[in-house]
Amino acid sequence: MVRKLIFSIFRYNPADPSSRPQTKKYKLEETENLNLFVALNKIREEQDPSLQFDFCCRAGICGACAMVINGRPGLACHTKAKDLPADISLMPLPGFKLVGDLSVDTGTWFRSMNEKVESWVHTDKKFDPQAEEERMGNDVAEKIYELERCIECGCCVSACATAQMRDDFLGAVALNRIARFIIDPRDKRQEKEYFEVVGTDQGIFGCMGLLGCEDVCPKHLPLQDQLAFVRRRMGIHALKRILPWKN
Amino acid sequence: MRIDSTVYVPAVSRQAAYLDWLQMFSGICLIIFMYLHALFVASIIFGTGAFNTLADFFEDYYLVQTGGPVIVLIFLVHFILAARKIPFSSGQQKTLWVQSRQLAHRDTWLWVVQVASAMIILLMGSIHMWVVLTDLPITADKSAARIQSGFWLTFFLILLPLVELHVGIGWYRLGVKWGLIKSKARNKVKRFEYYFTGFFILLGLVTLIRFLFVKI
Ligand code: HEM
Ligand code: SF4
Ligand code: SF4
Ligand code: FES
Repeated sequence: MVRKLIFSIFRYNPADPSSRPQTKKYKLEETENLNLFVALNKIREEQDPSLQFDFCCRAGICGACAMVINGRPGLACHTKAKDLPADISLMPLPGFKLVGDLSVDTGTWFRSMNEKVESWVHTDKKFDPQAEEERMGNDVAEKIYELERCIECGCCVSACATAQMRDDFLGAVALNRIARFIIDPRDKRQEKEYFEVVGTDQGIFGCMGLLGCEDVCPKHLPLQDQLAFVRRRMGIHALKRILPWKN
Repeated sequence: MRIDSTVYVPAVSRQAAYLDWLQMFSGICLIIFMYLHALFVASIIFGTGAFNTLADFFEDYYLVQTGGPVIVLIFLVHFILAARKIPFSSGQQKTLWVQSRQLAHRDTWLWVVQVASAMIILLMGSIHMWVVLTDLPITADKSAARIQSGFWLTFFLILLPLVELHVGIGWYRLGVKWGLIKSKARNKVKRFEYYFTGFFILLGLVTLIRFLFVKI
């Protein structure tokens, strides 16, 4: 039997002074392999051309389509209608600037985050385009790659009660990013420099271990284990400083 | 995360790290104390003799007289440290509530339980420790008289499950935060935590019921 899906979609256009936040319902017949990416496009094409939402890669790579799907942050292009009940509610990601309807500006937030954790390899070495690339062990390379898979979709920030309560909290994505540079042998930053970035209550010590981040990350990044790794490293770094013979 | 609007760079201190360590240590102390405490009080199940022997032992070696105030102190320190993370403003409380309901996420709910139980434990735990420690020595007769009065029975029926939930969620949370519980083991450990907490609530209930049948 073909299901009749009822989408309850958050509608609000901050650029239009007459617009008020509201939920609008749209009906759509379920088709085979329907995902939310296709569903939203159908609704926009056939029912309401003013509906705003973001898409780009439609393959879970760009992170643009993150939204709150039945209460949980997730990627719309990754979510199949058949995995959801017939009533589907869609809301924009909380914690980011609303562009309109389901579209939010994650770019400004992530740019600021990347600047804060200085998300690049710090090195004094002069780049020599002729020289052969320095070799790196396969296990280290794989570990780094595992953490590099983050697509900056923002789901982990939206699912984190700490980040929602405290807008100066860095969030799991930033702490994971720092972990990536800690294990990168090319980055010359020392424990002390990392500590300055995340050894605070806005960083790792603000994290309360609620693991919303871990449970929603659509790319299944190992956030829980990385957060614990950063907490141990930073905690031990601080302890070492009170041991006089370690200074 | 807030977007920077100033060029002011605050000096980095290590305070957040130290306080986090202290919060963990005070928490561990209280966790160990609470489980041992539950076992000691449960000695009443084997009769007033067992209970009194234990109580006498702890008092003869001044463990209650010295350990009691130390626990009170750790109890307060733990609260002050944890309070840094507790949402006291109504705005934050509302955010947490809306977030928990919307996300329908077990671990976020567990945290709400932990925060709510903490407030009640702070009040009731203080009253309880005051009453017991200002009325030494501890004897089975005195405890039984209190519990049979009815007021203290209700009191403990509220405090007992809240304490066990708080302590149980507490060590689970410490485990995931510091990495003792890895991602792979998380669900298994969480299930174990439920059973463990259930066991201690049951043990406490049996203890209370046993107190009701102590002849004074
Ligand atoms: C040094 C501190 C403490 C001492 C000496 C102590 C001693 C006792 C004793 C003798 C009882 C039996 C009932 C009674 O006499 O009224 C009892 C019961 C109880 N206490 Fe404590 N206690 C201490 C601290 C705490 C703390 C900090 C908490 C919780 C935060 C707590 C929670 C409970 C509970 C829930 C019961 C009922 C237990 C049951 O039914 O098994 N106690 N305690
Ligand atoms: S860590 Fe996961 S949830 Fe967070 S931004 Fe990266 S991919 Fe998205
Ligand atoms: S573990 Fe919890 S508090 Fe920490 S970043 Fe993840 S969701 Fe936020
Ligand atoms: S459209 Fe790129 S992740 Fe969904």
